[in-house]
Amino acid sequence: MSKVYKDLREFLATLEEEGQLVRVKEQVNPEPDIGTAGRAAANLKNGPAVFFENIRGYKTPVVTNVHGSWANHALMLGMPKDTPVKEQFEELNRRWDLFPVPPKILPREEALCKQNVIDKDINLFDVLALYRINEQDGGSFISKASIISGDPSEPDNLNKQNVGTYRIQVKDKDRVGIQALAMHDIAVQLEQAERKNEKLPIAITLGNNPLVTFMASTPVGYDQNEYEFVGALQDGVPFEITPADTAPHLYVPAHCEVVLEGYIIPRVREVEGPFGEFPGSYSGARLQCEVKITHITHRDNPIFENLYLGIPWTEIDYLMALNTSVPLYKQLKETMPEVQAVNAMYTHGMLAIVSTKVRYGGYGKGVAFRLLSTPHGMPYTKVVIVVDEFVDPFNLEQVMWAITTRVKPDKDVAIIPNCPGMPLDPSSVPPGIHTKMIIDATTPTPPEKIERETQLLETPKDTAKWEGIIRGLLDNLK
Amino acid sequence: MKACPRCDSADTRVMVKSPVAGEWEMYVCNDCYYSWRSLEDPQVLPKFKLNKEMIKNLGVIPPVPPLD
Ligand SMILES: [Zn+2]
Repeated sequence: MSKVYKDLREFLATLEEEGQLVRVKEQVNPEPDIGTAGRAAANLKNGPAVFFENIRGYKTPVVTNVHGSWANHALMLGMPKDTPVKEQFEELNRRWDLFPVPPKILPREEALCKQNVIDKDINLFDVLALYRINEQDGGSFISKASIISGDPSEPDNLNKQNVGTYRIQVKDKDRVGIQALAMHDIAVQLEQAERKNEKLPIAITLGNNPLVTFMASTPVGYDQNEYEFVGALQDGVPFEITPADTAPHLYVPAHCEVVLEGYIIPRVREVEGPFGEFPGSYSGARLQCEVKITHITHRDNPIFENLYLGIPWTEIDYLMALNTSVPLYKQLKETMPEVQAVNAMYTHGMLAIVSTKVRYGGYGKGVAFRLLSTPHGMPYTKVVIVVDEFVDPFNLEQVMWAITTRVKPDKDVAIIPNCPGMPLDPSSVPPGIHTKMIIDATTPTPPEKIERETQLLETPKDTAKWEGIIRGLLDNLK
Repeated sequence: MKACPRCDSADTRVMVKSPVAGEWEMYVCNDCYYSWRSLEDPQVLPKFKLNKEMIKNLGVIPPVPPLD
């Protein structure tokens, strides 16, 4: 049984014990210090979480870069902090199959997120030390919330309840903007509500158990419940949730730091952005949805957990690496058991590398088409590289070898114009349209014509033994 | 009250004062919702400047559906 964290605080304690959290005790300015530290922490190898205890003008702390290294990611999974990425991918795959693990519903008095209630004179700044993340952002942003919304036609169907991460701009003490892109689950629910000119109740939860944040940014099916996945990723331990106060059909993580309850104002769009986004560039101002906050609950001394986004890699790239790779792998594997692994860690899967056995000529391209027609791959993935089953897609040196020695560009590279795309990708023109590229770097297989016989070099039989000998000699040098 | 650093509108207001009294104020523009803190000296890049005409013509995400 792997280690399970009850809440963010237990995880932060583990990070600190493992030397993966640092505390800044001196007073800092909200801008530019917190954002800058997020960039800096991501630049370090195995960068730590950074906890700011004293922010000028605020009474509450901030923590950033909580997911921002492979060491922190491994600790989130309860694994040793030096666990290789491929092993973390395989462990996630194993736990994924435990889905669904139904959550445990706690009564209000047992839920720590209900320790304090604010239901009049709402002021987000009293609870959260809000700040501008990047210099050209249009205001203070909440970049790491898990937002809960329900399906208006089936409000009590837990499976159609959505837990997702959408960027949030603070517009006033009790009002925020939210980005609901048409491809996201929340947009489906919003459209139903707006057709009837009804408010869509939502709960914005902050400072969550790290696996909740992980699942909220994982592309799963519309009728798959994120909390049942959190239980699976906790190796079968049910996740604890509790009803929201103002919209009891919505369930929030029982021990999160802060819950902002309110509703999306129907049929209203106001200026939102710019915001420095995950592709490493700003997304400009648009007219987007607005949320009225009517009720806040929070723990004593609430911690505001937020993330920095910049030119990759930063915290968001670690957060959206394996949680993009695993669902794509599972969806491919369902119909194509030949697929061995998927590495979709680059810019939320805009580039994906798949390793597969090749059953017959052209199979590599077929795998790529399959990936490009999954719910996430269709809009997000722009470049697919397919490699043989003996190439580790997480080992980029091996992938480059496969491309340099397996690809005949005139037959193995395919360009497909006018496909769905990710509007935040600056090369998506018009925004929302992609040209896809497939690079088939697998070995040619009949009925494809084998134009040149190839004999691969073999690894000498005693290589592992010699690795041990050389490692021992190295140790003697120390 | 200062003009908006992004759209130059004079229609700005104090959004909030620091929870620890006297440390800073935060301002917001009623036309474009740009917000900034008294501790900052915002330099909005020319490409991100707005005016009333541009605001009216910004893209809408997601589109507002017809009423049932
Ligand atoms: Zn303005």
